[in-house]
Amino acid sequence: MSSRKQPKGKIRPPKKPNSADAQFNDNWDRLAQAIREIHKKNASILSFEELYRNAYNMVLHKNGDKLYNGVREVITQHLEEVAVSQVVPAFPLSGASSSQTNPNGAGGANFLKVLKTVWEDHTTCMLMIRDILMYMDRVYAKTANVPLVYDLGLDLFRDTIVRSQNYPIQNHLLEVLLQQIKLERENEIIDRTNVKASIDMLLELTDASTKDTVYATDFENKFLETSSEYYRVEGQMLVGEYDAPEYMKKVDKRLNEEEQRVRHYLSQTTEPKIRNIVEEELISKHLKTVIEMENSGLIPMLRNEKMDDLGRMYKLFGRVVKGHDEMKSAISDYIRELGKAINETVTSNTTAEGGNAASGDKQTGATVAVRWVQEVLDLKDKFDKVQNLALSNDKAFQTSFNEAFEYFINKNSKSPEFISLFIDDNLKKGLKGKTEEEVDSVLDKTITLFRFIGEKDVFERYYKQHLAKRLLLGRSVSDDAERGMIGKLKVECGYQFTTKLEGMFNDMRISSDTMTDFKEYLDKSVLEKPKLDLSVTVLTSTFWPMNLSASPRCNLPPELTKACGTFQNFYLGRHSGRRLTWQSNMGTADIRGSFKARKHELNVSTYQMVILLMFNDKQDGESLSYEQIKGESDIPEADLKRNLQSLACAKYKILVKEPKGKEINPGDQFNFNNDFTAPLQRIKIQTVASKVESEGERKETREKVEEARKHQTEAAIVRIMKDRKTMEHNLLIAEVVKQLQSRFMPNPALIKKRIEALIEREYLERATGDRRVYNYLA
Amino acid sequence: NFHSGLVKDISLLLNDSNYLNVTIHVGENENAEEFKAHSIILCARSDYFKCAFSNEWVTMNNNMITFNKPNIAPKIFEMILKYIYAGELDLTNQPGENILELLVASDELVIEELFEHLQDYL
Repeated sequence: MSSRKQPKGKIRPPKKPNSADAQFNDNWDRLAQAIREIHKKNASILSFEELYRNAYNMVLHKNGDKLYNGVREVITQHLEEVAVSQVVPAFPLSGASSSQTNPNGAGGANFLKVLKTVWEDHTTCMLMIRDILMYMDRVYAKTANVPLVYDLGLDLFRDTIVRSQNYPIQNHLLEVLLQQIKLERENEIIDRTNVKASIDMLLELTDASTKDTVYATDFENKFLETSSEYYRVEGQMLVGEYDAPEYMKKVDKRLNEEEQRVRHYLSQTTEPKIRNIVEEELISKHLKTVIEMENSGLIPMLRNEKMDDLGRMYKLFGRVVKGHDEMKSAISDYIRELGKAINETVTSNTTAEGGNAASGDKQTGATVAVRWVQEVLDLKDKFDKVQNLALSNDKAFQTSFNEAFEYFINKNSKSPEFISLFIDDNLKKGLKGKTEEEVDSVLDKTITLFRFIGEKDVFERYYKQHLAKRLLLGRSVSDDAERGMIGKLKVECGYQFTTKLEGMFNDMRISSDTMTDFKEYLDKSVLEKPKLDLSVTVLTSTFWPMNLSASPRCNLPPELTKACGTFQNFYLGRHSGRRLTWQSNMGTADIRGSFKARKHELNVSTYQMVILLMFNDKQDGESLSYEQIKGESDIPEADLKRNLQSLACAKYKILVKEPKGKEINPGDQFNFNNDFTAPLQRIKIQTVASKVESEGERKETREKVEEARKHQTEAAIVRIMKDRKTMEHNLLIAEVVKQLQSRFMPNPALIKKRIEALIEREYLERATGDRRVYNYLA
Repeated sequence: NFHSGLVKDISLLLNDSNYLNVTIHVGENENAEEFKAHSIILCARSDYFKCAFSNEWVTMNNNMITFNKPNIAPKIFEMILKYIYAGELDLTNQPGENILELLVASDELVIEELFEHLQDYL
């Protein structure tokens, strides 16, 4: 204030600067002394107001720079003293060169403690200095563009203590910090507060050139380097000493520890970096080794259903780039391997008895199929469980598992037939011992296998055959279950896939109505009633699996022929223009047989009935030869053999064959078995049950499928060309594949052949300019 | 928005003898006066007082904070107190010399709002 009151003359007396200097020196001496007192923690004797006013006056009189530099000097001087008197004496005894010789880290911990005190003292003093120099900060520092005094203090601390040019404080500090962390990694208890104090200090200091924290420039890289090295060594050690589950637990623990460490006393910015290092050194580098560990790796875990370990592996390996890929491919390979084993047991079974369908246990064929499907389903269940319990239902894993299943299921060329047989088996005896829900869930699972089949059209063909038998022989347990299954197939493949199957059901329903009408018709008419109850099922030939051109021959007994005639008249009278062909190979009959012991009702196939009726005219003990039966009945040879087998070689021996044996051969003699006994009154003679096809039948089915594919391919080509009119070859092939692949995978050669056939039949033509382009001919 | 009520109530504190905990000796020699005030108000309104009354610097006498400000005239300090408590400043009828002194004082106490206002005023 006083200076303002003194008016200044224009001419400056030479004494003036001297007196101003003297004034400044006087003020400055007092202020410097005060700062020293602050450093000595003697601030209570000082007056804030005076010191502030002092500094204020200096700045007011344009001595801001002198003040600022003076303060810098005093603080620097003080910090130099602190370095010598406090920090250097606290250096760990063993020196910076080797922290190893100081195993318990006590010296290091003490050093950190001293540094903590020094740092706290410094910041406390700087806050007070900042208070009294507030005016300098606000007025001088701003215009002179220099750091505020507190920040100046931080820079001085950085350069005088932390990065001292005179003493190796930095080396000691870094070594001690790294050593403390190492000790903690080795399960020693360290004083985290001291470490945290030093880390916080480094975080508060700024590196002048990078503008980053001193923590980042001086400490972090070193920390990461040593951590890399530490975990590189540890990874090699662990992988050699522990099995896979233990290894993973150790890694989990390490990851957790490092995360905790960062949270407790390092910077959050270090977290991803140290995590990467642990993941790289302990996971990425040992992925395959751990997966392939003998007796404890991924496959043993799967084999023993170690869901916890699998889950741990999934979570752990998911942290690194290749982790899940390696797991996925290992599991998929394992599935393929197991699938291959399942396929092999089946093929070895079928070939052992194959080629001769008529021989041995008739059930075996179907049993093989059921067992194959059941094993595949069990495998599916197993991996669904893994997926569910250990893999968090990861879609990528699911896809890869599905591919593996698809691969081995389609490796078994019989899979469409097997799956259909499995469904057949369940629908025939499903309810026995199983609730409706259980059957439903089995069928649902079967659908998942169906999805994997590439040749869905082949499946359809078998399904139709099996369904036809179930319907006609009344073997289905439940209509609801049948319809449920068709519903499921419809959902999978669309209505086109199931129209014929539904048509079969329709025929059954209409036939039942027709029979009611037929009975009424007979009651009202004056015609002679047939001597037997006739039940006719009228089948639409295109829906059912039958071969009209090769309609099976069979000489029916006269009563039956007559009854058939009556029905034919009735039916054709109502539906003119239709043609009825009798499929005697598909029928059944209930007949009564008188044996020595008692009478039995026999439920037999139409063929069996024809055979048995021949014995009506024969005396006791009079036999018929195979050739006689064949000639008289005109039943096709394969069917005849099969039916004779059922009558003479199976559980109920209505006929006695000479010579004995399970095979039917030309020259065999057959007798009515008058001594036949059975506990039940009503007996069902098992017709040869649905079974795996013989090689011959398979070839036939295959040919039919190929034939059907030709038609479907042509139909698809025509449909597409009708729509597009003109199309390039490759595009057409692609479009055809797209349309057909839900049923089967057409190969381009097949499509090409069909295109050529259509050109020949003038549905298409090659474009004149470009031979690769086709035109549709309306 | 209840600002006006708030300002009114706070400004009434200036003449309220309750809760007073600061004695400020202002001026020198014959031109000296003693002001009583509330540290919490002064600290809230001024960084200068916040430092002056902080644990590191404060001096207590009979449970009262005592503070000397010899280089500001009582009449000037009274205006500052009025500004601090009530946000009011009446410059009418003030001689230019007083206004200049007030400018200098507000600069020293780094009451920037007041300082800038006075600069504009002059």
